[in-house]
Amino acid sequence: MPSFRRRENGSATARFPFLFLLAFFATASLLWSVSAISPAHAQTAETVEVTDLAGRTVRVKKGVQRMILGEGRQLYGLAVLERDNPFKRVVGWRDDLKVNDPDAWRKYRAKFPEAEKIADFGNPYTSDFSVEKVLALDADVVVLDLGNYFKAQESGTIAKLEKAGIPVVFIDWREDPSQNTVPSLILLGRIMDREKEALAFADFYLRQIRLVYTRVGNLKEKDRPLVFMERAAGYNPNNCCSTWGATNFGKFVEEAGGRNWGSRFFSSTSGGDVNVEKVIADDPDFYLMTGANWSEAIPSSTAAPMGYEATDEKVQASLKTLTARPGLSLLRAVREKHVMVLYHQFYNSPYSFVAVQAVAKMLHPDRFKDVDPQATWTELHAKFLPVETSGLFWATMK
Amino acid sequence: MTSIALTAVAGYRRATRRRLGLFGLGLVALLAAFVTDLAVGPGPATLGQVISALIDPSAADARLRLVVFDLRLPIALMAVLVGAMLGLAGAAMQTILNNPLADPFTLGVSAAASVGASLAIAFGWVLLPVGGTIAITTNAFVFALMACLALFGLTKLRGVSAETMVLVGIALLFTCNALLALIQYRSNETQLQQIVFWIMGSLSRASFEKIGICVVALGIALPWMLARGWALTALRLGDERAESMGIKVDRLRLEILALVSLLAAISVAFVGAIGFVGLVGPHIARLAIGEDQRFFLPLSAATSAIILSLASTLSKAVTPGIIYPIGMITSLIGVPFFISLILSIRSRGA
Repeated sequence: MPSFRRRENGSATARFPFLFLLAFFATASLLWSVSAISPAHAQTAETVEVTDLAGRTVRVKKGVQRMILGEGRQLYGLAVLERDNPFKRVVGWRDDLKVNDPDAWRKYRAKFPEAEKIADFGNPYTSDFSVEKVLALDADVVVLDLGNYFKAQESGTIAKLEKAGIPVVFIDWREDPSQNTVPSLILLGRIMDREKEALAFADFYLRQIRLVYTRVGNLKEKDRPLVFMERAAGYNPNNCCSTWGATNFGKFVEEAGGRNWGSRFFSSTSGGDVNVEKVIADDPDFYLMTGANWSEAIPSSTAAPMGYEATDEKVQASLKTLTARPGLSLLRAVREKHVMVLYHQFYNSPYSFVAVQAVAKMLHPDRFKDVDPQATWTELHAKFLPVETSGLFWATMK
Repeated sequence: MTSIALTAVAGYRRATRRRLGLFGLGLVALLAAFVTDLAVGPGPATLGQVISALIDPSAADARLRLVVFDLRLPIALMAVLVGAMLGLAGAAMQTILNNPLADPFTLGVSAAASVGASLAIAFGWVLLPVGGTIAITTNAFVFALMACLALFGLTKLRGVSAETMVLVGIALLFTCNALLALIQYRSNETQLQQIVFWIMGSLSRASFEKIGICVVALGIALPWMLARGWALTALRLGDERAESMGIKVDRLRLEILALVSLLAAISVAFVGAIGFVGLVGPHIARLAIGEDQRFFLPLSAATSAIILSLASTLSKAVTPGIIYPIGMITSLIGVPFFISLILSIRSRGA
């Protein structure tokens, strides 16, 4: 029990904290005096100046050989540009393809086993980007997703990489796929020196999407069926329902000649949860859903496992389960089998134009008698992709 | 002086020496943790290279300099500083509130900062006229400070007892969490990811400017609190006894709370809401060194700094190339540790 009347002032005990602080300040000022570090020497290879999807002007080595993908699902685009081996130039990537689209991962891995060796940068949405690892891999370019722009700025990732002389480019087929898919592919084509492939894809894309626009682009409101587009149905089995606003799949519905139910409620955001009662009250003409093979990552998922390994049987069983959720049996769309499920990854893939075609055919069968989305999908694989199609990427309830 | 008094004085001196020794040990451990943090990483730099680059930057090659000075050093320093700030804030809060569960995280300061950051992310609402990504930091800071002011104001209004402060803090925490849920509900997918990412905490936002600000804040708060060390120790005996020794308890509480606000607001604004560090660090320090605030406060800062430094190392060492969110790591380390602490206290019947 120390005595409070006799203060031990002036003893070492009172002095040491200040010494400690002194040391602190000394260290700090020392660090302060460390002069700015000059950037690493720029490569003397031929470069190309590009504007990326964040509107930044970036100088990148022409024909980059060592790429790091800020999202695993950027592979969908790389497969188009580097058909012989999409992984050839990838030295690092994030794990979202493996987690969210295991079918595609297995399909590509079977054909390109060296993909296993690519360095893993973890979850793109929750973890920081290891700049050091990028340096260790001696990358030519880091390709990030536009959705991560803000985060990359805030955590200083872009600045640090630029200081190291490693350019960062942003691409996008999620924030605004209708507008950004082709520019993103052309941008990748330019830095990979694969412009011919990029332009060929752009041409195919345009032809297929115009098929839809020319037939339903100017439809009057009264000729557009009301569509409820459920997002990731069954991803969380106890939650019904998430939907999109006028973005992404919500926009696909509108481009396909429908009225997207969620656009009225989520004008300023990309979407959200809605009360199933309101959906029942509005009784949409069509009930559409997205699904993917999430069951490996989330065992409780009851989603339709759309993808390269989906079977008709599994998908129909899952559609039965999903439409049997409380209240949905009351819907006219369910009773009349106006129900369709699509591969969820279309929402983050340059192949989304095929989804627009499939939805258009579902909503307006008469106008699209001569259009076969499945043939489009098969042609996409035959002409542009290293793998053959299999499984199911959309299905209607039987 | 009687012989009894002499023995008491000798005993006190011995105890002081032992505490000094323990504190020195803490500093050595902190240095070791800091050096480990500097040495670990997927990039091309070993411990030897890092040290030689630190000693003579001009001799190192450009890439090594970049790894050491731009990537590792800011983060390693930030981990130590923010750890120390959170530990000091938590320790001081536990002392003035006489509550072992008090820290900036449990009393809503971090949650308030998260609300500020989320408002900037989701709606672009900025309270101070700054642009770009700095807006998030300033917003978080202003909100954290506002939470502290609310804590301050409401307690002043209702009488400055430890109980009111804790209750107000808990009310703040729930209010901020509700607001946070509302903002998250109104934000789109990308914004939601950013909010979640921000809340999880990240040391990657470190920069030498931020480190400088942290040093200044610690430089103000630590000596100030140490100068009040005796009074704070007396406060541990209860308000009445402290009053009877001539300490103005209310004033002391508000003064320390102001310092805590500064530390907490700056640290959460810079790195996000990192939980458990400010809670567990002081408990370890208390077990090691006791309630003498002159030692307890700096040792709390040191132990929390060690925890965050270790967490920083772990976050990048588990899987090379992946940096796990620091807030997740501290909670994962913190929870089992905390439980075992509680059990050990129970078993001693204290």
